[in-house]
Amino acid sequence: MRSYKYVGKPIPRQDVSKVFGDAIYAYDVKLPGMLYAKLVGSRYAHARIKGIDLSGALRVPGVVRVFAGDDFPFKVGLYAADRDVLARGKTLYYGQPVAGIVAETLQAAEEAAELIEVDYEPLKPVLTIEEALSPDAPIIHEEMSKYRHASFVYPKPGTNIANYLKLRKGDVSEGFRKADVVVEGVYREPLISHAYLENWVGTARVFHDGTVEIWSSHQSPFAVRHLLAASLGLPEGKVIVHHTFTGGGFGGKAGLLLEHIPVLFSMRLGGRPVRLELNREENFFFMAQRAGYLFRMRTGATKEGKLVAHYGEYYLDAGAYADYTVNIGRSVGFVPTGPYEIPNIHVDSVTVYTNKVPTTAFRGFGMQEMHFAFEQQMDKLAQELGIDALELRLRNAIVPGKSYLPTQVRVREDAGDPAGTMKRAAELIRLGKEIKKPKEPWKFRGVGMASFWKGPVQPSNAASSAIVKVNEDGSIDVLVGTGEMGQGTINALAQIVAEELGIPVEKVRVSPARSTDSVAYTWQTVGSRGLFSEGQALLRAIDDLKNQAKEIASLVFRVFRDEVEVSEGKACVKGKPWECITLAEMALGYTLPNGRAIHGPLIGRGSHVPSQTTYLDPETGKGEPKPFMTFGTGAVEVEVDLLTMRVKVLKAVTVLDTPVINPGLALGQVYGGAVMGISITLNEELKVDPEGRLLNPNFTDYKVARAEDIPDEMVAEFLGVGQKNAPYGAKGIGELTMIPWPAAIANAIHNAIGVRINELPITPDKLLQAVMRQRPELLEALEKELLEAS
Amino acid sequence: MVEAVKLSRHNLFNTHIIPVNFKYFAPKTLNEALELLDKYGKEAKILAGGTDLLVKMKMRLVEPKYIINIKGIRELNFIKDEGNQVRIGALTRWRQLEKSELIKNFFPSLYDAVKVMGGTQIRNMATVGGNLCNASPAADSAPPLMVLNAKLVLASKKGEREIPITQFFKGPGKTVMEPDELLKEITIPKPEEGSGSAFIKVARTSMDLAKISAATALKVEDRKIVMVRIAIGSAAPTPVRTPKTEEALIGQPFRPSIIREKVKLVVNEISPIDDVRSTAFYRKEVSKIIVEDALLISYERASRR
Ligand SMILES: Cc1cc2nc3c(=O)[nH]c(=O)nc-3n(C[C@H](O)[C@H](O)[C@H](O)COP(=O)(O)OP(=O)(O)OC[C@H]3O[C@@H](n4cnc5c(N)ncnc54)[C@H](O)[C@@H]3O)c2cc1C
Repeated sequence: MRSYKYVGKPIPRQDVSKVFGDAIYAYDVKLPGMLYAKLVGSRYAHARIKGIDLSGALRVPGVVRVFAGDDFPFKVGLYAADRDVLARGKTLYYGQPVAGIVAETLQAAEEAAELIEVDYEPLKPVLTIEEALSPDAPIIHEEMSKYRHASFVYPKPGTNIANYLKLRKGDVSEGFRKADVVVEGVYREPLISHAYLENWVGTARVFHDGTVEIWSSHQSPFAVRHLLAASLGLPEGKVIVHHTFTGGGFGGKAGLLLEHIPVLFSMRLGGRPVRLELNREENFFFMAQRAGYLFRMRTGATKEGKLVAHYGEYYLDAGAYADYTVNIGRSVGFVPTGPYEIPNIHVDSVTVYTNKVPTTAFRGFGMQEMHFAFEQQMDKLAQELGIDALELRLRNAIVPGKSYLPTQVRVREDAGDPAGTMKRAAELIRLGKEIKKPKEPWKFRGVGMASFWKGPVQPSNAASSAIVKVNEDGSIDVLVGTGEMGQGTINALAQIVAEELGIPVEKVRVSPARSTDSVAYTWQTVGSRGLFSEGQALLRAIDDLKNQAKEIASLVFRVFRDEVEVSEGKACVKGKPWECITLAEMALGYTLPNGRAIHGPLIGRGSHVPSQTTYLDPETGKGEPKPFMTFGTGAVEVEVDLLTMRVKVLKAVTVLDTPVINPGLALGQVYGGAVMGISITLNEELKVDPEGRLLNPNFTDYKVARAEDIPDEMVAEFLGVGQKNAPYGAKGIGELTMIPWPAAIANAIHNAIGVRINELPITPDKLLQAVMRQRPELLEALEKELLEAS
Repeated sequence: MVEAVKLSRHNLFNTHIIPVNFKYFAPKTLNEALELLDKYGKEAKILAGGTDLLVKMKMRLVEPKYIINIKGIRELNFIKDEGNQVRIGALTRWRQLEKSELIKNFFPSLYDAVKVMGGTQIRNMATVGGNLCNASPAADSAPPLMVLNAKLVLASKKGEREIPITQFFKGPGKTVMEPDELLKEITIPKPEEGSGSAFIKVARTSMDLAKISAATALKVEDRKIVMVRIAIGSAAPTPVRTPKTEEALIGQPFRPSIIREKVKLVVNEISPIDDVRSTAFYRKEVSKIIVEDALLISYERASRR
């Protein structure tokens, strides 16, 4: 990568207010006269509501109103409007809000919540994908045919199928005829939680002219605005969504969350401000979590190690509401394999309703899960073929400009460097080299790798825009719609402005706080698309600004516009460094020596919309789904303790093909992604009992890795192979950093002890069962060795 | 430390930030506390560090009418060396145990437990008395104190009684304490010359409650086991000793192969369940392994002294 002054440098974050405790979060926003809302959860996973008695709650002093399902006779949602505001007629999961209380104090609301009596007629809960798809399964959404849904979603009313997607490339039967080796596998991942630090909170008020204002914890202010407006029948212009710092989202705060609830409550209460704040347990029930997965795969290769066919049945356990998860079902359907060219693919991806907590987007958008399955298929094939795991991957890796995507379009020439990441990661983990044997005979070490790719899953026309303003002192304010939730995009954007205008980065302000009525539009802060999309809009806005500066300078110095250049915060006539005007001097326009002013304030505007992406064919999936793909490979060294069955990740290697704007922030993403991925691999799972009741809605029993569980060694490299239209070539990495770990760890465990684990999380309990089933001789040999040693 | 099975009958989603109304007392002396217990014991809860109690109150698993905060009672916070025994006040924080040379030198199994109990913040607040009185099968201080032959001094207005810790637990959350009693102190005899002890906990992540834990104390003379005590946590309704296994080991030569064979017996002396933290199957398999490990470490420590 060319060397720049700001871009590509590990410049410390500018938004340090969190460190000092100054940062404002949605939780900090309190309005005068504000009321407190509390939701009451269902005690059954699946039940008819025969009656509901609100009278006890209404008698609690301080209670202002109590709402139940029939108060809001409509559904809300994004891709499939399948959500009740409060349960109507039926409850679909344990903990689903059935009533809402609004009171003068939180204490009164909490007290009243205990006094709501619901008369339930329990129904059989549907708790697994298999149960949901069985012909005699109870139907969870009985009125599915009436639901509003996006045109690219294909629900099947009368079943529990929320979306059915088909991908067809080539002729898969023909492909399998050519295959010398075919491997099969069934892989599963459970429902998990985003486990972000900041519980959801939203405070809303409605003005007498109908204007709605809300402060809430979310990723994408404009998506919240649009969905609120669409769900409640309001014009967008009357909805103002305020974005503050968000304390982590990881996909769990994409789209519309619970914003409609305080808004609706406020509307019914003459516009008094209403606040709904969730505690940790409530956050597990009332906010959406991540879907569970089931993959059945068959993959074939020739004896030369060429992949020729892939057949897959993919299922997502979406829980009670599939609103966002239907789109993840599409995501894993359109990119159903690792980053390899396979001529014949046949995949059905089915999103299924069950009576569990609703689900939504999660960092990786299905790609971590799909790669967990597919990258184990690759290792199995390598083993069967007797080809090295790296070599097999290299023989099939996507070749930019030559290979075709599963959706049948050619991969762009400048797409990146998949093979490069594979080679480098294998080298860094010493794949195929001798591994140091631990001195304890019960400890075994192994290495494993997983390659991956991912791009944003977004509408073909997902738009971004940016505004750049010059202040009187020559400093710059950037207005963009990206949400700031710790990922640091706003810092990278500031670096780009500093680089382009040649001014110190400290003079560029990209405020983390924003409101939809005062910044430029962006579709969503999801899919690792922020820098790529807002970055391009911003570059155009800077160009616009520079043109204005050039115009002013050309008038002042009586030269043509293209004789002026902008750098070092000044517009100068080329070759005449003494003929310059600084940005400060022309911030509000330029005043000529005779007092006449020209142009007015400098303000640049830029828009971006991907021009390559298209709709996808409903029968085959043919089309261009992504504006970019980032390629990468992760690799680990693990140590398995055959006595306690604990797995420790000793070293984690990440190699990504893209250049980065800020290597410091990028490393932060890599470390965070690895820790999150390893934690998901080894610990995380939402557990339900046979009645469908969630057993671990808290951090006592929903286990997330602690500081001591982090690998001793984490290594990351960025190969700097950029995509031409990306800002300074940089593609997104936020989600990518957590994709490879489950697959790489499973492969490394196999490398260490020859045991295959097809299901997450890889707990000691599960590993013990697997070792006893797959390799009992290992334990016998160890027993013998230990006895002889003594 | 609330058991998941029990929890599922409760209203998990509407946990409370604000607990039910209660009357609050903060006695400054033991006598004041005993007076209050005498009066309100049946409807009162003692508050020490609160790291167990407040979690349960938030879940409305307990709804005490009276809270007696004993944290301010200085006389219950001490670690005293009395020559042949060490006395630990019930209000001693885990962090104090961690910093105590006495604990580290004489009771390595307890020290092992301290090192893996909670995080620093929890160790700063949580008391060792609260850990025992909460009576979780997973209480980390219980197995070591059991193999160290600790005794508990229970006090009430009527007087004091001393019982061996092995007689203290009755079931999950249940002890032999009467409503008017509190735990005053723990006495631990200094270990016999030439003995050693150890504690091992297997958990899901660091800073977690035990999936299974074990403590052992051991003395070997002329290559023969002359004293052995084993206690296991998270594998039965209370932490348990395993007398049959101990019996089988006594008199045996201390040889890893023999230990390995004999510790298999512990499986018959525990009754683990499947729960949100682990499975009965795993707990059984791994109980023998950590008992064996703990015995080997105990032996090593004994020979180092
Ligand atoms: C994040 C976290 C991590 C934890 N990790 C661990 C761990 O790793 N290992 C572990 O064992 N525990 C752990 N715990 C549980 C808890 O911290 C310990 O059990 C702690 O020792 C309890 O002590 P306390 O002083 O806070 O008790 P409190 O909560 O004050 O009391 C607990 C119970 O004992 C009663 N009580 C307290 N003192 C007395 C007394 N002197 N006489 C009579 N009754 C009394 C109370 O009435 C109450 O019923 C953890 C808890 C949390 C929140």
